[in-house]
Amino acid sequence: MRRLLYLVMAIGLVGWIAWSYGSVSRGAVTSSLSNPEDGAVANGRYVNTYFDLSYPLPPAWTEGLAGPEPSESGYYVLSSLVPSGEHDSAILIAAQDRFFADKPDNDLAAAVSDFREAMARVDGMTIDHEPSEMTIAGHVMRRVDFSGVGLYRGMYATEIRCHIVSFNLTARSPERLAELARTLDDLSHSTEKDTAASVPVCIKDYAVADNLLQRVEPVAAGPRFTSIPVRIVIDGDGNVKHTHFIHATAEQRQSIEDALRQWKFKPLRVNGESVEVETGLLFRFTSPPKS
Amino acid sequence: MLGVTVLSSAALAQQANSFFGRPGGPGGPGATDPGVRGGTPGAGGPLHGLSQNELNFFNAAKNVFNEVEGVPQGLGPRFNLDSCGGCHAFPAAGGSSPATNPQVADATANGAKNTVPSFITANGPVREARFVRNPDGTPDGGVHDLFVITGRADAKGCNITQPNFAAAVAQRNIIFRIPTPTFGTGLVEAVPDSGLQAALASNANLRASLGISGVLNHSGNDGTVTRFGWKAQNKSLLIFSGEAYNVEMGVTNDAFPNERETDPSCQFNNLPESTTNLTNTTNSGSPASDFSQDIVNFTAFMRMLAPPTPASATTASTGTTSSSSVQVASNSSVLPSAAGSSTNSSAASTATLTRGAQVFANVGCAACHVINQTTGKSTMTGQTNVTFQPYSDFALHSMGDGLADGVSQGNANGSQFRSAPLWGVGQRIFFLHDGRTDNLYVTIHQHASRGSEANQVIENFNLLSLTDQQALLNFLRSL
Repeated sequence: MRRLLYLVMAIGLVGWIAWSYGSVSRGAVTSSLSNPEDGAVANGRYVNTYFDLSYPLPPAWTEGLAGPEPSESGYYVLSSLVPSGEHDSAILIAAQDRFFADKPDNDLAAAVSDFREAMARVDGMTIDHEPSEMTIAGHVMRRVDFSGVGLYRGMYATEIRCHIVSFNLTARSPERLAELARTLDDLSHSTEKDTAASVPVCIKDYAVADNLLQRVEPVAAGPRFTSIPVRIVIDGDGNVKHTHFIHATAEQRQSIEDALRQWKFKPLRVNGESVEVETGLLFRFTSPPKS
Repeated sequence: MLGVTVLSSAALAQQANSFFGRPGGPGGPGATDPGVRGGTPGAGGPLHGLSQNELNFFNAAKNVFNEVEGVPQGLGPRFNLDSCGGCHAFPAAGGSSPATNPQVADATANGAKNTVPSFITANGPVREARFVRNPDGTPDGGVHDLFVITGRADAKGCNITQPNFAAAVAQRNIIFRIPTPTFGTGLVEAVPDSGLQAALASNANLRASLGISGVLNHSGNDGTVTRFGWKAQNKSLLIFSGEAYNVEMGVTNDAFPNERETDPSCQFNNLPESTTNLTNTTNSGSPASDFSQDIVNFTAFMRMLAPPTPASATTASTGTTSSSSVQVASNSSVLPSAAGSSTNSSAASTATLTRGAQVFANVGCAACHVINQTTGKSTMTGQTNVTFQPYSDFALHSMGDGLADGVSQGNANGSQFRSAPLWGVGQRIFFLHDGRTDNLYVTIHQHASRGSEANQVIENFNLLSLTDQQALLNFLRSL
């Protein structure tokens, strides 16, 4: 119990330090080596250990068509859910990596507000519920409801590990939308807190000269002028412990992985203890590949 | 990476049929594609505001665009058709595939002895064919022209044969492309990269609520945004023209100066076959046109070709529904037409079109088919800072297994396609990259499949009332 208390205190302190770098997650506890797209529906639940989310599907719902692969801008379609009976509603669970978003400085409030403005500009669309904040399953969420052309929709978004994770609900009636919204009350953690590993602290732009002891540039490989977003986890010794290529070709992946293996960061220490850091790197090859 | 995408006949038909049996979806009596809008073509003329010299160039260049070429002018040794205007024909020069496919007659024109492949039919779309893989299994993706000049009166001694398309079809190793309309493309070319990037960023949060990402394609040469072609793989109208002249017609030019087919028995001309004219022998009234090689004329014609004009409300839906109930699709499979074969003579009301426009924006079509773009500084008279309505973000989107063709172009992978500009869609006959359907209702549903960014938008469409689905179709046919 005391260890858990120290851990919570350490995370809080690191969070305060990390905030001074730019942005930081509100640190949930989950397995550190899973990736955002690893979530899946099983036994009537959508479970995502990276985001520490478990969502029981509404009764008689099932997975819809799978979405696209993660994008160059760090966008994920995590799951698409539909009723298996009458087709009167749908749920999309998605995530946007804040490190690579087309609007890079969006925070949760700004993103939801921007979305609200975009919907308000659509001819025939009504904002039924202005953006507001609530807490569901320990997550601070922002909600906005809107409707038009007979579709009633709600977006519930939260920030986890420097991602904006959204539940996008669509229904043919306001009553049905309200039913779907109530199912979010059943959101829970995907893992038992007391058995889970600690979550790395996510820090934007952490891979800067002040923090890097050694940096080896990857050799140009694969197509030029494409964005290659990569999330890395840096262990307590300053080594790259985990690499997640969000969107890359095999050649690009190999080249960057070879380079990252040689990178060395200053260990981030908090309260005398080393802490793992999760950050984002964006590569873009502009010179021709070496033959 | 998504798997390879060439579906069998049965799979493609099954996929299409699945849309029609879905609870709450378009089962039973569904919305009806009003069909190709009747009346005069709302396209084919020059941009508004051009100078007289520019208009002269446009008119002369249009004639070059429609010229039929023979072997002495550079046709072949392999080709898909003998003129630009033959493929880009409907509803006017510069458009897309006409109702009667000219490739059927061209197969045997001037003594040629070509066999018409199974996927080319008299009332089907103009098509080019690409093989997905080489015989050794490595990626191909290149165009394999349908016809050869062997047997033509102007190609004595040439003795090459057509590719074995029947085998490619049997091996599911072939995909198709139909001509993209070129109306308004000069305006598209004049949009600065920053404009396209800003437009994409401006609706990022909206797209994120719909499962949509999107990315612009880029030139491997200079890193700038490419925007023409089904996969936005072409940088400019000049490159587009030069490549098509060589690949589709076999005419070498200053941009693509080498023959693709090098059989010695079929080389009849000095290369490049189309180049700058050093003397004016045409006297068209536009010296610029007369001295320019053909691809410069094609570029000038497309660059000054006006966008399609949307219909007024009273003429928006008076056309005839699809005359054919099925269309040949990939691998000779067929997709059902939801439109039936009746004639829809009821005019769409202004209220219906207004509602349809609302539906278009509300369900999320406009997230990719972005309505407005704005030109930057343009050398064309009166075309600077012009806001126009292409209904496209010109970005690439993953379109899922159902549409994926397994062909990479530029940075576009096998399942990515550019958001097809929807302007002029009211007067287009064939839809999707391979022309697999002539029905907008089917086209909408073909956007949904495993791995598609459009899945959520199609879910929204399926949740609409029948009245609103119909309003959307009427609106689209008004464009």
